Amino acid sequence: MTSARMVVSTLAAYEIALDAGERVLLADFTQTFGAGELWCVAGPNGAGKTTLLSTLAGLVPPARGHVALDGVPIGDWRPGELAKRRALMPQNMHDAFSATVFDIVLLNRFPYLGGWGWETERDRAAAHAALDALALAQLAARDVRSLSGGERQRVALAAALCQDAPLLLLDEPLAHLDLRHQIDCLTLLAHWARESPRTVIFSCHDLNLARRFATHALLMPGDGTAHAGPVRDVLTPELASRVFGYPLVLIEADGHEALVPALRRPERESPEP
Amino acid sequence: MNAQRAIAIWLALAALAGIVFVAALTLGSVSVPPLRALGALAHPGTAGADTIDEIVRSLRLPRALAGFGCGALLALAGALLQVLLRNPLAEPYVLGVSGGAAVFAIAALLAGAAWWLVDAAAFAGALFTIALVLGFARRALARGEPQEASPRLLLTGVVLATGWGAGVTLLLTLAPDERLRGILFWLAGDLNGVASPWPALAALALALAAAASVAPQLNVLARGEAVAFALGVNAGQLRLRIYLVASLATAAAVTTAGTIGFVGLVVPHALRLAFGNDQRMLVPASALAGGLFVMSADLLARTVAAPAQLPVGVITALFGVPVFLWMLARRSR
Repeated sequence: MTSARMVVSTLAAYEIALDAGERVLLADFTQTFGAGELWCVAGPNGAGKTTLLSTLAGLVPPARGHVALDGVPIGDWRPGELAKRRALMPQNMHDAFSATVFDIVLLNRFPYLGGWGWETERDRAAAHAALDALALAQLAARDVRSLSGGERQRVALAAALCQDAPLLLLDEPLAHLDLRHQIDCLTLLAHWARESPRTVIFSCHDLNLARRFATHALLMPGDGTAHAGPVRDVLTPELASRVFGYPLVLIEADGHEALVPALRRPERESPEP
Repeated sequence: MNAQRAIAIWLALAALAGIVFVAALTLGSVSVPPLRALGALAHPGTAGADTIDEIVRSLRLPRALAGFGCGALLALAGALLQVLLRNPLAEPYVLGVSGGAAVFAIAALLAGAAWWLVDAAAFAGALFTIALVLGFARRALARGEPQEASPRLLLTGVVLATGWGAGVTLLLTLAPDERLRGILFWLAGDLNGVASPWPALAALALALAAAASVAPQLNVLARGEAVAFALGVNAGQLRLRIYLVASLATAAAVTTAGTIGFVGLVVPHALRLAFGNDQRMLVPASALAGGLFVMSADLLARTVAAPAQLPVGVITALFGVPVFLWMLARRSR
């Protein structure tokens, strides 16, 4: 990755804590997310994956500790500048008004608008490129409200790519996608992280796809602890079984691997503290 | 949508408004040739002013300008509130501003107050309602949280509006018969006897400047708060700003001409159906089209049943409902 470098971002969390009411979801979490890394955030429902992504994106401050982008505390960034450096794809888009797919994607060029607030040809070209990258070109003129859930999801991903930020945070980008589109999407993200290079962090429930495409993983049980590191060190059958509270086994065949739920639950253990 | 297309739409609407403006000066119980009417405007205060000059300058001109100003304010407020509440059914009166103005104004009418006191009371009622909504829903409105705050704001406004509605009914039942007609015209929206169009036009200039300068941000807000935050828009501040602009615009319109209905709901929608939902185009276009619509409706209101004059609010609805239904049906086909 020593080829012509564009803007490279380093995101770091310093001793951050995340709370949900009385519960402590994450405590004393320190981690650097470097350029060229594709991180998968996994964990049971309610473990705080969305909260973590919002915190890393600078939308909500952590309960304790702080997040820094390129060495500057994320709360000190001017919102417009921050939007050029990090894109966030939220979960569950709700479209109150009709709009074309192209306009939805083009909207993410907002941080780059100058003068009177109209897009330039460069912005339009970026939107077309993002649509092409997700094979959505033929949907460009469609009303977003007529799309299926999976198509809408890909449009949201195209919009996030169109923002052209070196740091990309995605909340469940694979939700509603069929298998082929899940793989296409991850291939694209892996390519995106490797070229340039950029930092991509996404939450995901499919541990096998994560093992295959991600470089790193962050496993959050939601009890204050976390396991972070290279994907094969973190998404192991032992750790994943513990975090998800169900035994998983790693099956290997012809160089392929899969984490699958064990056939029979062993003797009921005492619940994790 | 690009800047050229938006400018073309604005110019077309402005040209139509210019034509209706001249027609409004020309047509009526006394017909005045267009050049004569414009001539009367061109030399204000010259000696030898005759009845025709007088009719054009002090009757038709203020009325046409007030109609344009009120319509523009209401349509602008409607467009802003539809984005603020992310609800296509939102309109300027949904958050209770007009109800508060109506109760105060009717109370003043019942007390036999002078016209300027009625106007002052209406404006005070509107401001009072804005203060109440802010008091109850300020946090929901301005708090920078990536979640939807609209239902709380909408419910607060709707409940207040309902309360004011009951107040209006109560006052109407208590009102002596001879005052009912004046109250009815106020409630329906009426441009007859508008004292001066300038407060409404000044309010329009301010509201348009305040709204058009954040139009690109409104495009982002219309897609939801999470998107707004991710793109670097301070949604809380923006929501507070457009609430205040929309409410004060509504207050200015209602104070000038009573509660002219229908404009604020339908004009932004008609433009959206015709030209799309880009706020950079829509905000100025709503103002132009709203002004055009009410000015035209008022021209009809004072000519179709002449010498009788109809309240302009009745015309906006009677004329606008079928047109809008037709647009909607054509679009969904």
